[in-house]
Amino acid sequence: MSRSLLRTLLELRAPSTPRPAAQFKLPVRPLSTTPLRRNSPALSDSATTPNQNSAAASSIPTIPTEAAPLVAESRPPTSQAAEALYPRIPQQVNPSTNETQTTVAQLLPLLRTQPAHYLTAHIWGRPYLVTAGDQIRLPFKMPGVVPGDVLRLDRASTLGSRDFTLKGSPYIDERLFECRATVLGTETEPMRIKIKTKRRQRRNKQVRSKHHFTILRISEVKINGPEAVGL
Amino acid sequence: MTIRALEKVSVGQNGIGAFILQCKRLDIHYCDHSGSSRGMNAFIKTHLSKFAQTHPAIEFAVSPRPRKHPVMIGHYINGRQKAICVANMEPSQILKKAELLRDASGDKVKRVNKPVTSINESVRGVWSPYHGNGMAV
Repeated sequence: MSRSLLRTLLELRAPSTPRPAAQFKLPVRPLSTTPLRRNSPALSDSATTPNQNSAAASSIPTIPTEAAPLVAESRPPTSQAAEALYPRIPQQVNPSTNETQTTVAQLLPLLRTQPAHYLTAHIWGRPYLVTAGDQIRLPFKMPGVVPGDVLRLDRASTLGSRDFTLKGSPYIDERLFECRATVLGTETEPMRIKIKTKRRQRRNKQVRSKHHFTILRISEVKINGPEAVGL
Repeated sequence: MTIRALEKVSVGQNGIGAFILQCKRLDIHYCDHSGSSRGMNAFIKTHLSKFAQTHPAIEFAVSPRPRKHPVMIGHYINGRQKAICVANMEPSQILKKAELLRDASGDKVKRVNKPVTSINESVRGVWSPYHGNGMAV
């Protein structure tokens, strides 16, 4: 049996076990997805994101600096602290034309049926092209997270399979996909030593730096059908 | 007939399905008399019980080490160790070092230039000039 056929079979099988929460903290920690579902009126009345046809004509993707790219969802006791750190900013979705609505309604089911998917997730303005199972080394240490936390990445600019790509302008509607990442821990790098010299001075100065990086693992990439946006 | 090994179906990756904390044991050494252990003794009295309660996956071993500096040693699943000397530190600083040992993976630290590491095949495949509609010049 070929590998892609096997993978398709595995995808078709219904998910039997619920996604386990992080196991090292408390014995029972249900995932709270309810605080995520606070749809603003601006979200609910707008239809969908533009498809690949209109994305070429749309504006260059701009990165809103204040966009909160992710929501920590696995810690109900500290969810208020997480919300204070990462306030939920509703997505601004541009109204789409009839043409893009029809192409999304026709082509998104085809994209879903192809086995492997990728997406360009944005975390604090930086794009990461990931598939399920990839590991991301963020260029910073993310405050307020501990190993085992599950984050939902809700900003993505592209979403695709082998033959189809859905482009956002600048971002895809967050109801069309679910991408989750597990915090694995914090890694660091060897100490960097930069030697600073000044002219006509006999002394050299050593500047030492050592940065810390948060490691994420993409645990889930799921694509919803066009019904999720009411098409 | 030769014996053939079973082909590996999948590779285990932490965080997909289950998450397992990489730090499995934390050795905490102190000295009763030395001044450099003053902060460590206060840490053991005030912070350690709460820190150990919130991390049931880690085994905490507290033992004296007379006439020596206080040390914390993290033991990891991959068999490696990471030791930090916490002489003359405040309890809050020692708590940060304990969190550092908890968050570490145990691997040797190395510089990584690429942000994404993947073992999956490329989703879209390799581009070929001999297929498709060609490119208008």
